[in-house]
Amino acid sequence: MYDTIKELVDTSIEQNTPISELMIQQEMKKNSATREEVWDQMSNNLDVMAAAVKRGVEGDGVFSKTGLTGGEAVLLKKYREKGHTLSGDTMVEAVQNAIATNEVNAAMGVVCATPTAGSTGTLPGVLFVIKNRLNLDHDQTVRFLFTAGAFGMVIANNAMIAGATGGCQAEVGSASAMAAAAAVEAAGGDAQQSSEALAMAMSNLLGLVCDPVAGLVELPCVKRNAIGAGNALIAADMALAGCTNKIPADEVVAAMKEVGQGLPKALRETGIGGLAGTPTGVQMKMSIFGQSVEVN
Amino acid sequence: MSGNYKSVFDIIGPVMIGPSSSHTAGAVAIGRAANRLFGSIPEEITIHYYESFAQTHKGHGTDYAIISGILGFEPDDSRVPNAIKIAEDQGIKIKFIEEDEDSPIGHPNTAVCELKKGSREIVVSGCSIGGGTIEIRDIKMDGFHIKPKGPLPILLVQSADTQSTENISDKLSKINTINHHAEYAGAGHATMYEYDLENRLKDKDLNALSSDSTKMVYL
Repeated sequence: MYDTIKELVDTSIEQNTPISELMIQQEMKKNSATREEVWDQMSNNLDVMAAAVKRGVEGDGVFSKTGLTGGEAVLLKKYREKGHTLSGDTMVEAVQNAIATNEVNAAMGVVCATPTAGSTGTLPGVLFVIKNRLNLDHDQTVRFLFTAGAFGMVIANNAMIAGATGGCQAEVGSASAMAAAAAVEAAGGDAQQSSEALAMAMSNLLGLVCDPVAGLVELPCVKRNAIGAGNALIAADMALAGCTNKIPADEVVAAMKEVGQGLPKALRETGIGGLAGTPTGVQMKMSIFGQSVEVN
Repeated sequence: MSGNYKSVFDIIGPVMIGPSSSHTAGAVAIGRAANRLFGSIPEEITIHYYESFAQTHKGHGTDYAIISGILGFEPDDSRVPNAIKIAEDQGIKIKFIEEDEDSPIGHPNTAVCELKKGSREIVVSGCSIGGGTIEIRDIKMDGFHIKPKGPLPILLVQSADTQSTENISDKLSKINTINHHAEYAGAGHATMYEYDLENRLKDKDLNALSSDSTKMVYL
C-alpha cells in the first residue's frame, strides 16, 4: 500500500507507469485477484454511476421523500439547452451530472459511493463531462476511477473521509481532490501534475463544514457536489497549465485532518450548527420529524 | 497511517442504496457483523445510538439500514428501505435508543446492538468510519468479552482444543498477515481466539480453515 501521495507519484515516475495501473496491480496483489476480476468490478461501479447520472434527468427528475431536494438536474439540463450559460457548457454539464447523482442518492436510489454517498456526485460530475470533452474510451473512464481511488485511499488512511469526523471538506473536499487528480491523468498530465491538482482542489475546500439540515443528506449536500465537481475541473486545468500549489499534497492532507479534528461537533454531521441551525433549517427539521423532535 | 481502507473498492464503492455511506451503508455493515456473530435471526433487537448517529439516524435511514444488516441483507438490496416492516412482520421486537453521552468506543458514528433470542444475548459495538467502512471494537457473546482493534477483517475462532487452533494460526500466517492476535478465556474450557487480518479471506481459504472441533465467525 502507498503511505503517501509522494510515494505514489514517485513510483509512477520511476516505473513510468500511470497511477491507475499501480492501483490495479496493488488491488490484484492484495486480494489475490485476477486483473479481469478487479477490472470488471470497477467497470460495474462505472455502470452504476452512469445510470444515476441518466436517471436524475429523466422526465421531471427524481425527488426525495421529504421534497427538500429533487428536479434541479432537469432544470440545469433545460437551461443548458438554451445555450447561454455563463460558465460554459462543460462546467454546467458537470454541475448537472453531480446534482443528478446526489438527487438519486437523496431519493434512496442506487449510487456508487465515491468516496462517500454524501459526496457521490462529485466524481461522476467530472468524469462524464471530460469523457465527452476528451473523447475518452471505456478503458480510460475505468482507469479514471482507479486513479481517483488510489489518491482517495491515501487521503482516507492519512486523514478521514467522514463528515462526522472531518466535516464536508473530508467528503466533498476529498472527492473533489480525487476527481481533479484523475482528470489530469485522463487529460495526459503526469503524476506530479495530478498531485498538484489534488493539492489545489483540497486547499480550496479546507474548512468546509458538514451541516445537513434535519440530518438529511440533502441540503446543502446535493449542491456541495456541484462545487466539488466545478472545483475539480478548475484545479485540474490549473495543474495542466503548470500552476503548482506550493504546499505539497501530503501536507495539505495533513492540514485537512487537523482542521477536521478542530471543527466543533455542531459542524460535524450532527445536524445542529451551520445551515442546519438556521431558523429555516430548524423549521424544516420540525416539519419533517414532527414537533416532538428535539432541537438543540 | 491508519490503513483502515485496504481496497480501492472501499473508496470507489460500495454500490449502495442512498442516502449516506457512513449512516446507511456503514449501518448495514454493522448490522451484518451482528448477524454473523449471532448466527441466526434474533427475537429482540435494541440499538443504542451515540453522537452523530444519535442526532441524525432518522434523516439518514440508519434505522432500516442497521435492521437490514441484522436480517442479512446486502447494502444494495432493494429491500433495505423496508427492513423494519419486514422484521416486524416476522414478529421481531425492535427498539432504538438515542444516548446522550459520548460513544463508549470513542467514535461519533457509534451503534451498540443488542440481539436476543430465548436466553441468549449478544452485544456488538461498531462504528462507521466513513465511505461505508466500519470497525467492530467490542463484542460480548457466549461468556466472552472480545475487544478487537477495530478494522476488519476479523476472524474469531472458538475452540476447546489447542491443537486445532495452532493449525489455524499456522495456515492463516501462510495465506495472510495477522495484524493482531488475542485470546480470551470464557466459561468452562472454551477459549476464543481473535485474529485481526490484513487482507480479506477467500471463501475457499475460509472453508479450508474450518474443522469439526472449532466454531468460526468471519467479519
